[in-house]
Amino acid sequence: MNYTKQIQDIAAKLFAEGKIDVFVGYRVNGFDDNQVPALITDPQDVPKLVFTDKSVFNLVNYLKSEHTRRKRVGLVVKGCDSRSLNLMLTESQVKRENLYVIGICCEGVVDETGQKMQNCVECAVPDAVVSDELLGTPMSGSLTLTYRVNADIAKLSEMPLTERAAYFEEVFENCIRCNACRHSCPLCYCAKCCIDQETATLYNGANTTSSAFHALMTWSLHLAGRCVDCRNCEKACPSHLPLHLLHKQNESVIYENFQEHLAGVIPEDRGAFYKYSLKDPDDFIM
Amino acid sequence: MSFSTFVTDKPGLQKFYEAVLASHETYAPAEKFGKFDFKLVSRISECDPESPIAKTQSIKPLFFPRSAKVMKYVATSAGTDVSEVDEDPLAVKRIIIGAKHCDARSLQVLDKVYNWDYIDTDYQKRRENTVIISTRCDKADTHCFCTSLDYDVENLDAMDVLVVNGAEGKIYLRARTEKGETFLKENFSQQLAVGSEQSEVGSRHSAEEEMKKQYAAFAESFRLKMNYKEVNERLSKIFDTPEFEKVSANCVSCNTCAFICPTCHCFKISDEKVKDTGLRYKSYDSCNNGYFTLMAGGHNPRPAKYRRWRQRAMHKFVYYKERFGENLCVGCGKCTIACPVNISIFEVVNQVASAGIQE
Repeated sequence: MNYTKQIQDIAAKLFAEGKIDVFVGYRVNGFDDNQVPALITDPQDVPKLVFTDKSVFNLVNYLKSEHTRRKRVGLVVKGCDSRSLNLMLTESQVKRENLYVIGICCEGVVDETGQKMQNCVECAVPDAVVSDELLGTPMSGSLTLTYRVNADIAKLSEMPLTERAAYFEEVFENCIRCNACRHSCPLCYCAKCCIDQETATLYNGANTTSSAFHALMTWSLHLAGRCVDCRNCEKACPSHLPLHLLHKQNESVIYENFQEHLAGVIPEDRGAFYKYSLKDPDDFIM
Repeated sequence: MSFSTFVTDKPGLQKFYEAVLASHETYAPAEKFGKFDFKLVSRISECDPESPIAKTQSIKPLFFPRSAKVMKYVATSAGTDVSEVDEDPLAVKRIIIGAKHCDARSLQVLDKVYNWDYIDTDYQKRRENTVIISTRCDKADTHCFCTSLDYDVENLDAMDVLVVNGAEGKIYLRARTEKGETFLKENFSQQLAVGSEQSEVGSRHSAEEEMKKQYAAFAESFRLKMNYKEVNERLSKIFDTPEFEKVSANCVSCNTCAFICPTCHCFKISDEKVKDTGLRYKSYDSCNNGYFTLMAGGHNPRPAKYRRWRQRAMHKFVYYKERFGENLCVGCGKCTIACPVNISIFEVVNQVASAGIQE
């Protein structure tokens, strides 16, 4: 998967036609072949842009940054990224007319060891669902969008409750409360986040197991039915915590009760999190 | 004062570590979720003293904990009772094995600020009661640049005991401080040594040479090299350069780099309250966070990301240097590895400094 040439051409054209102020893509780190997100405002920097299977980070995250706000933005999105973009649009966080979206029909990205990432192996929507221009060969037609329980969640649910509790206790114990997961999440765009309230009793700034528990649980519940499984959070975690488990568990509960899954695939669909009816089941709440 | 050197081999070192683990409170890199963190361990099987640098957290939390209890309080109708917290678990006599040179060096840098206008007694106690055994790396990692900074990695005396892997499976243990000397004399039994004590003294010269050779090979393996003096000087002159805006554009303003950094030492105070009783904590804080400089009235002197990044780079390479004569960076590359978007502090300071030449 290498769309470097096409993306450079498109970005150069957009700058030349004056259609964008800033282009959000990837460039090579300069020291190893890992890639870093690049926010380009100068057309001279366009040749630095790349796109390969190491273009991991979900760039929709930058639509909440001060560098792109109220600007016309060119953006590269993979399948999962486009779903988070769809949600940003649905939740009125960005204006579609300010964006020029280059969609990728993604074949999966790799982690630092060169292995295909787990979410890419399980990916149900590899093609960008929002785009002005689509690169690659779409394969959505041949995909089945039926819900499958995540293998890790299936394994966890077979564990006895005490063992499961001990496992998650370890997760929360190893959290260092740096909040990189939240900052890396494209859908965490609140100007003031509740877990930053240092005077609050639940989420005090201390790095204790209980504050980590409350912060991570609140965070994951705010993403219930919205998480697009891009794994930005998990890649960002300096303690390598298996954060996807929290989101996947939410996904399975939502599917069981509301028969909804794959957030952000359908434009304008607000998802279970935003819909309320008096008939909503609530027996899954503790 | 000259310190003793012992020669052993891999099984000998393993046995030495086992003996230390059995007789002392020992912290060593223990793996969890694929990442190593220094934890209290009792068996060698629970830890890996040779853990890869890229996957190992620094030893800073053992001296400056991620969250330390400061005091307890109870609010009553007559007023508030403040009391001391329980004994500091980190202030007991303890050994750290499997530390890296950058870790050890970071404490030397931190000592300056902790011995400055306010003497942090908790930190001092933890420092005094700890013996650090540090292994010299054999090969630099992708983001390492310790040899490019203002300390002599080869003759570093920040650790108490130095461990060097020599040729043909030989391992050298050398005391670097008096504390280390006493510790080695007490704990390193002669059965573990390869050859007798006489042969150790006889081979002293060759041990010296072997260690030099090992260092030469290690220094050769660095990809990242810079001239810290140039960086220090140029950064101090270009506070207003627009380059900071460019290099910080892709930062996501999380706290990871500072929380992982072995030398960052900013903290915040927060309370954990249950009804009328509370515990006060001192925990990590980071200047990359937008709330860091937010004042009670609502004013924020560093609202923009580039200003926060400038503060971070300048504090590491200019302000600390001016005040204490050391760079607040040990070149371990941990921040680059931990960064969600792989921003390299090496790249940032060099890019900004070289932009300074062009101007």
